[in-house]
Amino acid sequence: MSAANRLPAAFAELEPFVEQWCLATSNERTTARRNSTPEEREAFFNAGKVIAADALQVLDQKPLDQLDDQEQCLMSLLLSLAHVSLAVEIQGGDEARHALASQHMPITRSPSNPQ
Amino acid sequence: MSAELPAFAPVTKEEAASIGTAPVPAGPYYKADYFDAEREAVFRRSWLHVGHVCELPEPGDFIVRELEVANASLLITRNRDGVLKAFHNACSHRGTQLVAEPCGRRQVFSCPYHMWTFNSDGELRNAPDFDQFYVDKAELNLKPVAVDACGGMLFINLNPDPAQGLREYLGPLAEQLETLPSAKATTFSEYVYEIDANWKLTYDNFQENYHLRFIHPKTGAATSGKDNPFGYPLRYGFHNPHRTQTIWSNPQPQIQPFQMLAFGKGMQFAMQDGLVGSEQSREYYAVFPNLFILGSPMQPFSHTVYPVSATKSRGVIRIYWVGEDDCASRRFAREYAMGLARDIHSEDRAVIEAGQRGLNSGALSHIHFQAQEVLCRHLFNMVDERVQAYRDEQQTGGAQ
Repeated sequence: MSAANRLPAAFAELEPFVEQWCLATSNERTTARRNSTPEEREAFFNAGKVIAADALQVLDQKPLDQLDDQEQCLMSLLLSLAHVSLAVEIQGGDEARHALASQHMPITRSPSNPQ
Repeated sequence: MSAELPAFAPVTKEEAASIGTAPVPAGPYYKADYFDAEREAVFRRSWLHVGHVCELPEPGDFIVRELEVANASLLITRNRDGVLKAFHNACSHRGTQLVAEPCGRRQVFSCPYHMWTFNSDGELRNAPDFDQFYVDKAELNLKPVAVDACGGMLFINLNPDPAQGLREYLGPLAEQLETLPSAKATTFSEYVYEIDANWKLTYDNFQENYHLRFIHPKTGAATSGKDNPFGYPLRYGFHNPHRTQTIWSNPQPQIQPFQMLAFGKGMQFAMQDGLVGSEQSREYYAVFPNLFILGSPMQPFSHTVYPVSATKSRGVIRIYWVGEDDCASRRFAREYAMGLARDIHSEDRAVIEAGQRGLNSGALSHIHFQAQEVLCRHLFNMVDERVQAYRDEQQTGGAQ
């Protein structure tokens, strides 16, 4: 079941979310938000929100370009969590209707996209 | 803790009436002949926002912009001396589009058709077997377009010798734009949309708050409150042809816990970057004809509504950042701020298109704007003045 750990050991509880939410670009993250089920978003948000502040603190110890693969994966999860939090914490039950609108506004540039 | 909050006092109906009270004709929002007149009267004669100086920071950098309203492709360069230049992206030989890439860095541009080569000043430097032509090379430079920047924003004017320079055109706004976070920006996030709607109808949606509570019930919660349920602005300003509004924000907003984490980080960096506390931080600038700029320190954005046809437009929204992402928290705060701004913007598109479909039928002869839609009325006034003057010019044989 578990291949090599893709996250730093301290954040291993997020491993089940890596496959779906560790994504390279902002547009991929918002697309994943739109294509996910309410249950998938809630499970990720509930697991992520409790570690987000600690995870940022750990990652902030290094410049971004020096993060190793596991740390980069954690960073990417936190960025997906930002999108998913908007669905769960702000939109709530309106997310399905909101998703119909947001698909027409692709993200074409983001400083978090690979150079 | 019983700090007294001043009660919200909206701009009154009487004050707003100075811009007019009569119904506005609906035709200009869907008719092709009016759009054709706008193209000449507004878009070929105004300074138009096309980008940001951070897109071409170094000598030799260039960008290409397609401007459908004028059927034009524009090449904007920074020459060897670091000066901005702009040209029609059309080879002066037989009109072939010179540059296909959207951006890059080059000192020379060679037409793929017959290898005519131009430098970043638009001068024709080399043309194979030129002795066979009947014209002087000096007459064959790229066709220039006026270009200038203010507050980091890059503008062009299709008239190479415009009636007003950019600063004069912007009037009192010029100085203010230079104080905004977007003036210091070195990079940005961007999202875009295509919309089946007239450019004014689209633009108007983003300059009235009457709709906020209905279209943004969740994302707009922070922009309304008990004494201002519609989230109306504190003030309107008119600087013909431009306009501004001073945004009211709920002094006791409901912020969700995770949102607080993201906002806290965002505020920390905004303060660190010296972006907080400016007088312009609540100003929302409507720069004629089709640009908005928001001075907010956490989500400073521009929103440009590019006309495509009488009933089609394209929106480009950019959120500006000072410095590259240097740590995880900054990257996270930016991703969240961009995601939230996009969520709000995306909620409007469908209802604007529904408005266009209704107008296209011709069912409404006029539109009634209320006092708090005064900025929409002002845009119509500014456009219509120019369209009527252009039509008069045409009838009298052309003034220019």
